[in-house]
This record gives sequence, C-alpha cells and structure tokens, in this order.
Amino acid sequence: MTMSSNALCFGDEFSASGIPCLVHIEGHGLTITFPPDHDGGESRSESVSFSALTVSAGGLDHDQLVLTWTGLAGQRTLYLKNPDVIRVFRQAAPDHLTMPLEHAAAQVRQVRQRHRAVWTIVGAILVTLVLGLWFGSDGLVELAVNRIPVEWENKLGESAYRDFLIHQDVVKEGPAVDAVTEMVRRLAKPIPDNPYTFNITVVKSDVVNAFALPGGYIVVFTGLMKKAENAEEVAGVLAHELNHVLQRHGLERIVKQLGFVAVVSIVLGNPPGLGGVMKQLGVELMTLKFGRAQETEADVTGLQLLYQAKINPEGMITFFQRLAEKDEGRVEWFSTHPMSSGRAERLKIELAAMPKPTLEPFSFEWAKIRTSLGPSTSSSP
Amino acid sequence: MKSEILYPGAFPMVRIELAEGEKIKAESGAMVACSPTIDIESKMEGGFLGALSRKFLTGEKFFFQTLRASRGAGEVLLASTVPGEVVVLELDGVNEYMVQKDGFLAGADGVTIDSQMQSMTRGLLGGEGFFLLKMSGKGMLVLNSFGAIHKIELKPGQEYIVDNSHLVAWSSTTSYNIEKATSGWVASFTSGEGFVCRFRGPGIVFIQSRNPGGFGAWVRQFIPVSE
Ligand SMILES: [Zn+2]
Repeated sequence: MTMSSNALCFGDEFSASGIPCLVHIEGHGLTITFPPDHDGGESRSESVSFSALTVSAGGLDHDQLVLTWTGLAGQRTLYLKNPDVIRVFRQAAPDHLTMPLEHAAAQVRQVRQRHRAVWTIVGAILVTLVLGLWFGSDGLVELAVNRIPVEWENKLGESAYRDFLIHQDVVKEGPAVDAVTEMVRRLAKPIPDNPYTFNITVVKSDVVNAFALPGGYIVVFTGLMKKAENAEEVAGVLAHELNHVLQRHGLERIVKQLGFVAVVSIVLGNPPGLGGVMKQLGVELMTLKFGRAQETEADVTGLQLLYQAKINPEGMITFFQRLAEKDEGRVEWFSTHPMSSGRAERLKIELAAMPKPTLEPFSFEWAKIRTSLGPSTSSSP
Repeated sequence: MKSEILYPGAFPMVRIELAEGEKIKAESGAMVACSPTIDIESKMEGGFLGALSRKFLTGEKFFFQTLRASRGAGEVLLASTVPGEVVVLELDGVNEYMVQKDGFLAGADGVTIDSQMQSMTRGLLGGEGFFLLKMSGKGMLVLNSFGAIHKIELKPGQEYIVDNSHLVAWSSTTSYNIEKATSGWVASFTSGEGFVCRFRGPGIVFIQSRNPGGFGAWVRQFIPVSE
C-alpha cells in the first residue's frame, strides 16, 4: 500500500510543497506514479518522453536535478535528489539531453567546489586567527589594545569594580585608607602623562591579595596589609599592580579572549550568545590571572616606579620572599601571581643595577596602621 | 502517533499521543507535561560529535529530549518558550526542510536532524549564522515561531522577498539569494541589517509575523540602565 517516493513533482493543480512520487526511468522516457489520495483513490501515472524534457540544476544548494516539461495537465516540474535515480537517468538519457545534463552536473560540481574552497579558506583563516591570538602574536594584540581609548577601559574596569565591591566589606575611611592613598599618590606622581586616575579601595578581608582592574581601579585587602612588616612592602605590591594598569595588561587579556570569542560568534551568528560572552569576560576579569610575561613586566616596571617615587624598592623583594616562604598555598596573591624561584632573584639583580635610591619617608607610622586593622589572624587553618 | 494543537494562536500547546513503544524527539525544555508511561531521555542526536557541532555551530541546545512511551501508551504536551504559533508538517521521505535554529519544537523518531552549512554569503549576511537545521526523513515535524506562522506557497519559478529575521523554515526545493534591501525596505536593526532573502519556487517558505531580535530591542529600551 505505501509506496516509497523518490522525487517531488510540482504542477498547477498540486500543492506548493509538491507531490511525492515514484519515478521510473524507461527506454523512451519517464513514468511518474503518484500515490493514491487520502480518501482511497487510485494511484495515477503519467508518462513523458525524453524529447519533451528540459534539464537543469536546482534547489537550495543547486544539487537537485530539475526536469520540466509541458504535458497534458500543463507545466510539470520534477525535483530529483536521489543519486541513484539521477545516475540511472543520466545513463538512459538520449544524446540531446547529454549537453544540458553535463551542464547541470558541472554546475553541481562547481557549487560544491566553491563551497569547499570557501570553507577551506575560512577554516584556515579562523585557525590562524585563533592560534595567532592564543599563542604569541602579541604584536597583533598590542596593536588592537593601542586603539582602545582609555575611557572605554575605564568603563570596563569600573563596571567590574562595582560588581566586585557589592559583595565586599569596604573600609571607607581611617588610617589604613589614608596610608594606601598616600602610597598611590606618591607612586603616581613620577608617571609621565598618566592618563589614569587611580582609585584605591581597602576591603576588609583576611585574603592576602591586591589587584588592579583596567582603568586604574585598585583593591587591597586588609589581609595583605596585616602581613606587611613595613609600608614599603605594601607600596611594592601597589607599584606592581599600578603597572598592570599602566601597561594595560587587563585589556591585552580581554582582547585575546574577545578576539577569539568575536571570531566564534561572527561565525555562529549568535547574538544571544554574546551576552554570555560578556558575562564570561567579567568572570575572566575577576580571575586576575595575568601571563608570566605580564607579571615580569609589572615587577620590573614596578621596581622602577618605586625608585622614582623615592620609596625603598627593597620592600617589594622582601615581601615577595616572605610570602613565598610562609603560608605556602594559603597566600592568594601568589595564586594569582605564581612565584617562580627566579622572580625575587631577578628583581634583586635589577635593583643592584640601579644607582642608590634617595628615599623619602611616608608621613605615617606603619606599626600604627597595622594595629588599626585589628589583630592579625592566626595562620592555623 | 497523533498530534493536536491545543489553544491555537499565540500560546499554543501541542498534544502528541504515543502508542506503546513509540517515541518522539523534542527540543530540550519543550515538554510541559506527560503521562506517567512516558520516559524522558536526553539523547544526543547524531552522536556526541553531532550534538557538539550543533551546539557550537547553530547555538542550539546540546540535547534533544527523547520522549518514549516505554511503559504503555500515553500523551505528551509540548510548548515553546516564546509566544507564537505552532505548525505540524508531515515529512514523507522526499521533501526536506531547512529550519532556522529556533524553529524546531519536536519531530517523530523517523525525522533526521542534521546541521548543515550554508554558503558563505548567506552565512555572513543572512543573520542565522552559517548553520541551519536540515530536517529529512519520514514523520511528523513540529515547528514553532515567534508570533504567527505564515505559509508562503511558491510555484516553480515564482519569487518572493522575505526579511531574513522573519524566516522559520523553507523547503529544500526552493533556492534563495541574499540581497541588500532597497530603500523601500525597513532595515531590521538586528544582525543581517538591511538584508532580505529573495526566494524562488517551487516550495514552501514559513515565516513568522514577529522578529525576535526586533522585539528584544524594543523590550530593552524599557529596561532601566543602572546609573
Ligand atoms: Zn601581577
């Protein structure tokens, strides 16, 4: 009863979706059998000779064989997709159809080849782009970063900063805030043409960490301040963080990510996906993981900044060393700033190469600041 | 397998009756309710790689659910997440439909779902991305739209121009070109801005009376921006 169709037939009296039918190829031409109607009619057949046919390629990908003719019932169009049927048709077709058939076949091949060629090129470009952005090709990233205005960077940093602070216990005023504000002011002073206004916030938390967001938003946790034995150690960390801002390390990271994501979302044409991407970028900002090269750069330029600000650069080195020795695995600053054994050593060499710094003391006494933060928490887990 | 559209219009629901042993695939999240005889399995159509490529290439959800009447006959109720009409098509093994990625609601087990790449120009300018779902095989296919579904029937050689953000599905016997909208066309403010598709028959094109991207933009203007 059920007949398996192998073609679609279109005609004036048929619905626009076409009528599925069974095509038989015989010596003289085609026989098309239509399935019985739903209300129990008989199946009908139509025949057409090869001489009446016009042949072309059609359909969405131009990969279907389209046969048209004018029969008793008017204009008929037949769409053949099944490769077996097409092959049998090509073998049986008389000479006068050979040319158009070859033409249609060539068209199909051409479309396929063009598809393949374009996709190969696109694929190659994508892979190059992704790989290029992912590994190295820092020049490209730098080029992109340099084109981003500081105002944008500011907005980006500010929104992440606000999001972060919502869930934090911010120390609004007091000696600790005054002290870090003074440090940042001292550090910012020698920076030539500084486009950033640094914004420092002290957050009450035992986490031993500090971080900088693009645009100059810096957060210091009281945990880090409690761990520091002198003001120069805190200033050392701040000098490092300030340089992440000045060297636009956050942006570099985002551009790398964004480049990758942008390429992917252009291909996917997936605007709702972009929302997720922006979220992901926010998360990425908060994970604060910079590359090793960026860390080294921030260390070295941070050391120079301390020197220019007339703050003893030794503090940076001693703090790094001390944190690396103690509380291994508990100090968050080093989880985002992995301590390679060479890091402090490298800074020592840098420092030795510099002329002896002239120092200016801070206006506050560090011991008092530390006591104002309350007792240091014990380091037992 | 029998299907019935309940509450036709903006908020329809589809009831599908399954005989024992029958199963359907549905977009994950489409199921509203079902008989206790129905088992729900999340199945990756086309294997893991197929599912993965569909997820990444069409942005479609990773899994299709398979709803199987394994413990006796039963029924399932399906609905889409957006307000809009539902249409039930019957695939007969010969006709095939290309479906834009949010257009699929459910299909009989005999319906095959592939993601298919389209040509570069269509991918770049069409706004549906480079990949579409291709529905072939045999059995019931349920599509959903945003707004009402309108069916455009094209005779061989007949042409029709559609704004690409209103496309839901079209038969694979049609062909289309992407064209820059002429000045008379209202440019859609979503992706594929100012581009339209010129379809050429024979075949059927299903379009939706509302544009999801346009609606999104309209809603956004009422959402207060912080600060
Ligand atoms: Zn760092």
